[in-house]
Amino acid sequence: MSLEIENLVMRFGGVVAVNDVSLNVKPGMIRGLIGPNGSGKTTIFNVVSGYYKPTSGKVSFDGKVISGLPAHQITALGFARTFQNMRLFKTMTVLDNVLVAMGHHCKTNLWQAMLNPVAVQREDKMLTEKALHLLSLFQIADYARERATSLPYGHQRRVEMARALATDPKIVLFDEPAAGLNEKETEWLSETLLKIRDSGITIFLVEHDMKLVMGICDAVSVLDYGKKIAEGDTKTVSTDPVVIEAYLGKEEDL
Amino acid sequence: MDSMNILSIFIQTLVGGIGIGSLYALVALGYSMIYRSMGLVNFAHGSIYMIGTYFGIIWYRGMVMGLQVPYPIAFVIGVLLNAILGLILERIFRPLANLDLMLMLLGTIGLGYVLDNLAVIIWGAEGFAVNSPLPNEPIVIGGVALLPQMLLLITGSALLMVGLNVFLAKAKIGKAMRAAAQDRETASAMGIPVNTTNALVFAIGAGLAAAAGILAAPIVYVNPAMSAAVGLKGFAAFILGGAGSIPGAIVGGLVFGILEAISAGFISSAYTKGIAFVVMILVLMVKPAGIVGEVTVDKV
Repeated sequence: MSLEIENLVMRFGGVVAVNDVSLNVKPGMIRGLIGPNGSGKTTIFNVVSGYYKPTSGKVSFDGKVISGLPAHQITALGFARTFQNMRLFKTMTVLDNVLVAMGHHCKTNLWQAMLNPVAVQREDKMLTEKALHLLSLFQIADYARERATSLPYGHQRRVEMARALATDPKIVLFDEPAAGLNEKETEWLSETLLKIRDSGITIFLVEHDMKLVMGICDAVSVLDYGKKIAEGDTKTVSTDPVVIEAYLGKEEDL
Repeated sequence: MDSMNILSIFIQTLVGGIGIGSLYALVALGYSMIYRSMGLVNFAHGSIYMIGTYFGIIWYRGMVMGLQVPYPIAFVIGVLLNAILGLILERIFRPLANLDLMLMLLGTIGLGYVLDNLAVIIWGAEGFAVNSPLPNEPIVIGGVALLPQMLLLITGSALLMVGLNVFLAKAKIGKAMRAAAQDRETASAMGIPVNTTNALVFAIGAGLAAAAGILAAPIVYVNPAMSAAVGLKGFAAFILGGAGSIPGAIVGGLVFGILEAISAGFISSAYTKGIAFVVMILVLMVKPAGIVGEVTVDKV
């Protein structure tokens, strides 16, 4: 069930956003992906989740090539993601945001829905219970019937995570989940990410909060200007002079 | 005229306005749903409405191989055929959805012309009146005379609107459609096949337009030119109610129909369109988002 990215190149016109990057995410691990702004992290996420077709190179999951598949099919294979700029469905309640992501678990289709409303009601009830359970894991079940965007920022982040897990994923791509969270919330986040990993879900994490990354990642890859410049466990990466240079600039620049 | 008489004339006018208004509302719903889900203003929708009307009425009038089909069955056939037409058109419009407004405008208007001219070629430019399947004798309630077909149009439209709202609010597919309309990329990351839901939106929009057209056919005159007349008013209702809003399309349609009927009945039928459009412009000057403008639909 490992995610393999091989020689990935993503070009937008003349700009090379991702330049020949190879990396893998092994099952059951938290793989961190770090790098300065604009180094290509989110672009890699967008390729993996099917928004972009790579210029060259490939992405495969469980031995099957997934690059080039439409996003909803990639989701169906066991991928989920959250977004840097948090994209909840604005007019929907917290509960509906989660229920929408459970769509492909539905056994009943449109015709059955018209012909056998009782089965649909039973299934709706079951899915709603499942969604509420998920929300209670994130301690936001009390807000289930409220409009998602009326919640405080930190809670909206939780809704987004619950929604990602609602698709019943094998691997989740978290794009800067700590952005905008205070210290206490970040602590809660790191515990939650570890719990998610321990429940058997693989995590691919883009994050700027180094304390969080170094605290929970099993392995880290570092990007700079679209190229992978370092890789390894947190200790190796955090002491790598190349990485320090990428983040802080060369000594003579200072 | 005594006051009782004026009141009953007023009520009669009002009911007529609600009837024609429900027609506009059903057409406006098609504009609105497609705009919500694809960000596309579909100027061919008036033509889709006209074709849908023919799709039903040709069976009812025995224009297909001399087969005389009862009105309710003709209605169902017309709605289904038009829904299929909607599916095909979505595939044609799909590349337009991400383009700039001018290209959408040209593309949809052009396709509208193609549909209008196909109708002229197939069914002729001359129109026809359609007999109501219901008695032509008005039902008189307390001095107010109401045409049975008008009542059928109003109740039928109301049922369709309620049904659509329940469908969009409750059914999972409705939720998926709302999600796809709000944020295409996120919806596809949640496993929603956005192209399929868009196709469904088109099919439902076209089906509703056909339903409206077939219900109203015995009241209005059926000819290919009705695509422009009703298409324009449905579009105006869609703007008046608030582009992309489902309740807005319904309110906009009813307001437009009632305004038209009242200005025709109490001022002059020559100014009907003018008065309704002037009111539309005034409303938009005060409330540019429309009567039920949804702040959250942030598409251009």
